[in-house]
Amino acid sequence: MWRYLIRRLNLFIATSIVMMAVLFFATGMFPVEKGYALTGIQFPTEEQQVQTVEDYKLDKNQFSQFYAYVTQRLSGNLGISVNSQQDVAEELSAVLPASFELSLFAGCIAVFFGVPLGVLASLSSSKPVQRSILAITLTGYSIPVFWLGLTLALWFGVQLEWLPISGQINLLYEIEPVTRIMLIDTLLSESSYSMSAFKDALLHIILPAVTLAVLPFTVVIRITRQAMVTVMTQTYIRAAEARGLSTYRILIRHALPNALIPVLKAFGLMLGSFASYGIIVEVIFAWPGVGSWLINAIYQRDYTVIQAGILSVSLLIIFLSIMIELLHTTINPINRKELYAD
Amino acid sequence: MRVIRERWNPLALLCLLSFLVTACGELNVPSGIVYCSEGNPETFNPQLITSGTTIDASSNQLYNRLIDYNDDSSDYSAALATDWAVSDDGLQYRFTLRQDVQFHYNNLFSPSRNFNADDVIFSFARIINTEHPYHLVSRTGYPFFQSIDFANLVSKIEKINDYEVVFHLANKDASFLSNLATDFAVILSAEYAAQQLAAGTPENIDYFAIGTGPFYLAEYAKNEYIRFKRNQYYWGEQAKIDLLVFDITRKSEARLAKIITRDCQVSALPKANELAVINKHKHLELRTKPGLNVAFWAFNTQKPPLDDVRVRHALAHAVDKQNILNVVYHDTAVAASGMLPPASWAYTETEDAKHYDPEEAKRLLKEAGVTNLSFDIWAMPVVRIYNPNALKTAELIQADLANIGVTVNIVSYDWSVFTQKLISSEYDSVLIGWNADNTDPDNFFTPLLSCSALESNNNRSRWCSTELDTLLSQAKETLSKPERKRLYKQAEKIIHEQVPLVNIAHAQKLLLKNTNVSIKNVNPYGGMSFSGVELIKQEVQP
Repeated sequence: MWRYLIRRLNLFIATSIVMMAVLFFATGMFPVEKGYALTGIQFPTEEQQVQTVEDYKLDKNQFSQFYAYVTQRLSGNLGISVNSQQDVAEELSAVLPASFELSLFAGCIAVFFGVPLGVLASLSSSKPVQRSILAITLTGYSIPVFWLGLTLALWFGVQLEWLPISGQINLLYEIEPVTRIMLIDTLLSESSYSMSAFKDALLHIILPAVTLAVLPFTVVIRITRQAMVTVMTQTYIRAAEARGLSTYRILIRHALPNALIPVLKAFGLMLGSFASYGIIVEVIFAWPGVGSWLINAIYQRDYTVIQAGILSVSLLIIFLSIMIELLHTTINPINRKELYAD
Repeated sequence: MRVIRERWNPLALLCLLSFLVTACGELNVPSGIVYCSEGNPETFNPQLITSGTTIDASSNQLYNRLIDYNDDSSDYSAALATDWAVSDDGLQYRFTLRQDVQFHYNNLFSPSRNFNADDVIFSFARIINTEHPYHLVSRTGYPFFQSIDFANLVSKIEKINDYEVVFHLANKDASFLSNLATDFAVILSAEYAAQQLAAGTPENIDYFAIGTGPFYLAEYAKNEYIRFKRNQYYWGEQAKIDLLVFDITRKSEARLAKIITRDCQVSALPKANELAVINKHKHLELRTKPGLNVAFWAFNTQKPPLDDVRVRHALAHAVDKQNILNVVYHDTAVAASGMLPPASWAYTETEDAKHYDPEEAKRLLKEAGVTNLSFDIWAMPVVRIYNPNALKTAELIQADLANIGVTVNIVSYDWSVFTQKLISSEYDSVLIGWNADNTDPDNFFTPLLSCSALESNNNRSRWCSTELDTLLSQAKETLSKPERKRLYKQAEKIIHEQVPLVNIAHAQKLLLKNTNVSIKNVNPYGGMSFSGVELIKQEVQP
């Protein structure tokens, strides 16, 4: 068990170091002075210059520089933003929760609707129904997210005027940031507008979350259906049927938990494309998260923010992939022996 | 145990449902307005800049001036000065100041005294006096005041007592009051300035602004929003809304989308080509107000063949302005017959002497003995309020001139290169325009067509006449309005005869708003003011 955990931890550290090495190398290639790209201070004073050289070991060789870079970044020194002159770490902590909120909401939509639909699809024995489910999910899977986002915004926002299409909340509501997750903050807020603010925030998240959910939703349906079909043919299900258990019980208590294991695995594999979809969705719906922050920084050549954005997003993806794998191994009885094996 | 487990699902569902039901209660929205503005303000002190974005976010919201224009911009009304008088020689202006006016407070500053003469003196001394500790705090200078040579115009500002000040002028200037009523001439707090100077952070007074206006600055998040709140101690009529938020949205389409989905109630600078979409939505309304601006086509009168006045006349007759209004402005502008727009008080309605007449144009060209005429038109590459699409305008003119056998080559550069190259005056003709800084009619002539403008390279026609200059300085020294109006009419006539430029259009100021917002009037010139803006209660839709 410990061996396994340490191996995974090693994997995490190694991947992160490789990623940071790439980032460090890329930072050196920005078409500006290195100190500027690292700290975000364009015209440093004498002291700042000395400090920068000291912090990033700019007078030493590449390896010391890389070591200094990793130490600085991991200790939370991300420099200051070239554009806003604010501490990048602070800005990051303001935008990260918004992205979490959006992806979590989208993920929940995908699971809450995807799993039941997948189960229903697996139950159907009629060929046309199965084929049409496959066709619909395949279509959903292959629709480009930028087109989908814009189309939804056009239909539900501009033409029908049902839902807002940009931002997190109507700016008239003044919400004290506590968790920085808008749906929670509005409920925590003590103003008399708290409930309406919550509703407004809920309306604002629907379109971006639905757009972002389409990809995982279709994947969840397809994989759940596939897994359910496989599980339902197994002998223990037949045994359960023979014992006279109700279909509902068999499905929910016996078949589904096993069928969900591959779904979890698919989630892990999807993280990368989910994150890039998230960035696009954030830009389309002006969602104030890491994605739109990063894209803005790229437009404005904000070198420190670009690094911080890439660093945080990639570290998160690496971390979450490994976490999902761990979880997958833990709950999957077939893999459990791997935990103890050597 | 099992019982609980099995009941858990329906219970959770019930909770969720009840939750949703409570959430669907009637919306309780704070009384306020969200304005979709087009960009970040550079500062919150309008003395330091000329950009409209900054003016909108500061001048009329946070500050007051000594005097204001009245509603139809024809005369002045009292603001921080309750009364004013001009001496007979026109060199001294005495202002009586309003009492019991409170400044705002923020977490840096709370005022210990009310507004008085010291604040007036500080606000202007900062601009005039180069030795003033605050003079160099502004990195951008004081562009508006520099353009009117304010430092040399005002020789002294004298404090008579706490509520009386006298401005001593070096020479007579009919536009002085008009300049004091512009958005730039705001009154700051001398006490706040002294406090911040002592604290070693003088630049704070321009960013964490303190004024006397109807709103105070509550919060500014760059690239995201500016939050203003109502000043409850305002000396004048209280603002009708508690909260004013500027939602900073750079893209025009995004602003349109936000106002359609009701995230904004008012939106800045809608484009003429968005009119079709706007008309489809019943809750949107476009407010237009004749603007104080003019778009024109200036000829470089120092370069042949355009140095020949007959050629210029011919070209002026060859342009179909109506077509340009239609295609470029989507009929939101009026055709220009002279320099002054109809919104100016000095405007006299005259028939356009340069009506569209290609036959006449051909005849004039023949008379001038010019054949195979060919030259360049420079079209500015950016959108300006007076011309939303100069390139398109140039193409239309190109087609018109092709009709009379003149070949035109359209030239355009990037904006910064364009302005650089304009100064070197290599161009034959250029499509450009002018947006007035104040309501004084002089603003349409001296900066554009005087001999001094030729020296400062703002005279795009590179043309000047002593006759026009005499008229203009005469008009500037005259205080009587009807007399000035007559003089400007003469000035227009000279320009008509000499055709240094062809006036094309006066664009309208456009403002997009939700029908539940009432805005009494949109100023023809200068920035937005939200103090009189009201929310109208509408039937709550189910």
